[in-house]
Amino acid sequence: MIAYKYDFVPAGEQTLHIAFPEQIDVSENQLIQELAQQLRSRFIYEITDIVPAYRTLTISFDIRKTTYYEFSSKLKDFLAHYVPDTKNDHGRIFEVPVCYDSEFGIDLEDVAAFGNISVEELIKLHSTNNYFIYMMGFLPGFAFMGNVPDQIAMPRLSAPRASIAPGSVAIAGKQAGMYPVDSPGGWRILGRTPITLYTPNNPLPPFQAGDWIKFSQIDRTDYSAIKELDAHGEYQLKIISE
Amino acid sequence: MPHIEIINSGLSTTIQDLGRTGHQAKGIPVSGAIDQYSHRLANILVNNSEKSATLEFSILGPTIEFNVETFIAITGGDSAPILNDSNISLNTTYPVKKGDILAFHPMKSGRFGYIAFAGNGLQVESILGSRSTNTRLNLGGYHGRALAKGDSLTIDNCYQMPSLVNRSLPWNEPTGNSIRFIKGPQWNMFSESAKQMFKDGPFTISSQADRMGFRLDGPTLEIPQKNMLSEGAVLGNIQITRAGQPIALLADRQTAGGYPVIATIIGADLGKFVQFSSNSPLLFEEISLKEATAALRSQYHFLSELADSIYQKRYQYPIGPIRKTSKKIEEMIFNS
Repeated sequence: MIAYKYDFVPAGEQTLHIAFPEQIDVSENQLIQELAQQLRSRFIYEITDIVPAYRTLTISFDIRKTTYYEFSSKLKDFLAHYVPDTKNDHGRIFEVPVCYDSEFGIDLEDVAAFGNISVEELIKLHSTNNYFIYMMGFLPGFAFMGNVPDQIAMPRLSAPRASIAPGSVAIAGKQAGMYPVDSPGGWRILGRTPITLYTPNNPLPPFQAGDWIKFSQIDRTDYSAIKELDAHGEYQLKIISE
Repeated sequence: MPHIEIINSGLSTTIQDLGRTGHQAKGIPVSGAIDQYSHRLANILVNNSEKSATLEFSILGPTIEFNVETFIAITGGDSAPILNDSNISLNTTYPVKKGDILAFHPMKSGRFGYIAFAGNGLQVESILGSRSTNTRLNLGGYHGRALAKGDSLTIDNCYQMPSLVNRSLPWNEPTGNSIRFIKGPQWNMFSESAKQMFKDGPFTISSQADRMGFRLDGPTLEIPQKNMLSEGAVLGNIQITRAGQPIALLADRQTAGGYPVIATIIGADLGKFVQFSSNSPLLFEEISLKEATAALRSQYHFLSELADSIYQKRYQYPIGPIRKTSKKIEEMIFNS
């Protein structure tokens, strides 16, 4: 039995969303991640791609092999008899090093002022939390994470910046994220990780939706050392628990 | 090594195939040919798998020198191709030999053109199962970028083309100004007046139109008050921005989006949509999911029938040609 209500919504003639209750909720999202894996292997013939997001599972299928009506009825049947995996390991925890130098963390002062705390307290709050990855995208390596502690959950800038450096570690309200490539964006930037989050020769990120991220504070010396190691492919993200 | 050399890059000329599917969950965009119908057709004409990599260009095609013996076919917009100073037809397979030069005039109509090369297309490294280029991410294709003057691309020699004379299809300009859609996932979030304005249009494709998506000019739609959580972005989705402007999401779209999706352009009309000129107004016409399914299936059916019918004619006269010897053999047979 699936504990949540869900609907099937056509998103194209070859794609449907399974829409779960509209909320940002770790257990609901863990079910979505689990279903993504199960459905991918169960319907390997029909499915061409499957994209878990906060509260939706987007499933694309090959119209030469099935139709929306036929496939959604198969899926309904599968879900009606689905028994969630109670042994689910609920993801790995990756430790991502972050340098909170003021040169990198250009919004540290503003966010600290928002939370009525010192910059040191802000860094401590940000780096003691474990962040759940609800979804990957819109870019490769961009992890939409939560939940940022309420006290420091400052809303995004009203006008986005034209350019944000790759590796920037940022928050937007309750959401946390990291910028894999130079791109425009309105999130509040607290620091920068020395690790490469996206490279065209090896485009898949090491972590995936359903995993957790913990930020660990490093100083400028460590930052340079890790950046150097990572550039030679010799740095491995620490996995705290599997 | 057999190859082609780029004498002139043309505009936004990139290597594309059917796209990098299966990795959107990790944020990797699909990419691939923006007009998949034309890409598939070009490959069928030169006896390739539909997955073979073609060259996609925009408005102005590249100038290419061949250092290879093979066959080519050009599809898509009216790109007015020229092979060694003679005009050649679209949707038709031609043999090319070493030293031949292919060039183009600027397109008379349409936006995207495709060049398919026999012998399974352009041979570049496949990344995550695809040779498609995403220039924003510097990913895939030829060093992750659009082609430039002096680039040299590997292609296999191909000496034979079964039933070459039958490898031609009339090229017709797409007719009518309607683009069919099905209701999008957030259709019901929009007000009645917004839905009506969307159906009444008309819209034109704005200058902000690239492989990621086309922004449309036209009536400004009233937007839903409620915010939504980001969800998977789907090929052909029409999002409405906070300013009330539609954006159609295309090949290089990001994997997720947070704007409400009012409609999805049907798969069978995507090729027509991406070739639409900025000067012609277009109207969106609603159809059912069932009709959209039938339309796309019939398009696939047309292409597979075409491939079959060409294949079946392979033993009809004139056979071949195996170019290097065919002329000689012909003379021996018919003069004896």
